[in-house]
Amino acid sequence: MLEALIIESKEDTPKVVLDSINKVFQISERSLPENAIGFYEPVLEWLNQYATDPVEITIFNFSLEYFNTASAKQIAKILLILENIAKKQRVAINWYYKKEDSDMLSSGTRFSKLIDLNFSFIES
Amino acid sequence: MHTGNADFLNFVLALFKAMQRDNLGYVYRGRFTQEITDNILALTENKLEKEEHSSKIKKRVYSILVECLQNITRHQDDAKNDLPDSNGLFVIQKQEDKYFITTGNMVMNDNIDYIKNLIETINSLEKEELKSYYKMVLEDGSLSAKGGAGLGLIDMARKSGNKLLYQFRPVKEDSSFFYLHTIPSLEGLEGNFENKEESLNNIISIHNTLNAENILLVSNGPFNQESLMVLLGSLEGQMTGTISHKKKVFYIVVEMLQNIVKHGYAPESKALGNPGIFILGSHKGFYTITTGNYVDKNKSGELKEKLEKVNSLTQDELDNYFNKCLFDFEIDSSKKAGLGIIDLRIKSGNPISYTFSEVTDEFTFFSLQTVITTE
Repeated sequence: MLEALIIESKEDTPKVVLDSINKVFQISERSLPENAIGFYEPVLEWLNQYATDPVEITIFNFSLEYFNTASAKQIAKILLILENIAKKQRVAINWYYKKEDSDMLSSGTRFSKLIDLNFSFIES
Repeated sequence: MHTGNADFLNFVLALFKAMQRDNLGYVYRGRFTQEITDNILALTENKLEKEEHSSKIKKRVYSILVECLQNITRHQDDAKNDLPDSNGLFVIQKQEDKYFITTGNMVMNDNIDYIKNLIETINSLEKEELKSYYKMVLEDGSLSAKGGAGLGLIDMARKSGNKLLYQFRPVKEDSSFFYLHTIPSLEGLEGNFENKEESLNNIISIHNTLNAENILLVSNGPFNQESLMVLLGSLEGQMTGTISHKKKVFYIVVEMLQNIVKHGYAPESKALGNPGIFILGSHKGFYTITTGNYVDKNKSGELKEKLEKVNSLTQDELDNYFNKCLFDFEIDSSKKAGLGIIDLRIKSGNPISYTFSEVTDEFTFFSLQTVITTE
């Protein structure tokens, strides 16, 4: 099985947990790196490998407090990989947002309209 | 409200030039609450941590800074009214490896003689004399009813080891604005005082612009991801309003600053980041966020086109355009203006104002302003 990818959060980059053994898939906290492509490269690489042999149900949690537009594009890439996985196995997206953060909810809604995946919006 | 290509933004370049001329780093104009004072301290501490190696200078700048800020909080209500000048002023600059702090507040004209005499006395004393003068004032206690106004000034002079520079600018028939310029460096600046006088005049003229444009704070570059994070931290503490409103401001500030970091142009060495300016204005019912930076002249046409397009679209068209760019991964590698500008327009809900000013054949100065309506 694929080795877990765990990246601890920094001031401007999120915490990432991609662990197929324990079935935890999560991106949380803040994402506003200057070089979003560089930061998300290992994440996308891991997911592309995972896509060849995904678990039966992948529940992916986005629990972001904030992300910049450069990160939005990388999240779009992540969702496209997950969309592909959903063709063979089940995939569900949990999109967490704070009650008072309407922008985070509308970003999630936007993605759910553009990507063919099952989104749940959860107020946290 | 102005939209599109806007000449009223010409003050941005003028302000940028004035800030660059005397290497001013950060200017705050407003009420000095405990929270804001703490933020300015944190911001300066962070700046010192990165720029200054001598822990002795760091400590000295910091302690004088505390004294200066206390001076403003203590006296900001001395001459209370609704004029733009009733806001306090704080400026930090670094020139030739030395730090300068300028503070300002309104005073009643009745107090001017007392303040002048005190500063002149302080400036005439030698180091040892200052020490005993401090002791004398401390024991006497009768000098100021406000609890230590005199002591603060003596202490500043003692810690800086330099003379205090000051100026009074008349505001009304009974009040003036008091500027105090301190130099918290280790050695004195003999013979260089005339220069400083000029620098203080420049600050006063910047202050006039701030008053005229309702500007709350100005931060002069260089901008890189690190300085951006420091500035964001201090803004988070300074913003008032609802959480969702604060968040909106945060989103917009990040995109505008990262715009400078990514697309700005550095005419000289890029080592410290791209030169630029960040301006936060507070008006009745809305905030303005303005940035200014150099851009490569070859890229300015494309940028202008993009801005004009974004301004011309309806809400639905904007949404579609955003979606199209969101999944256009080619843009990433071409370094073209991407999602950021569309996002600014969507998040602020207002058209974006901008202007390009000629600088040289190679680059132009680009000013960008978004308006955020307060709820």
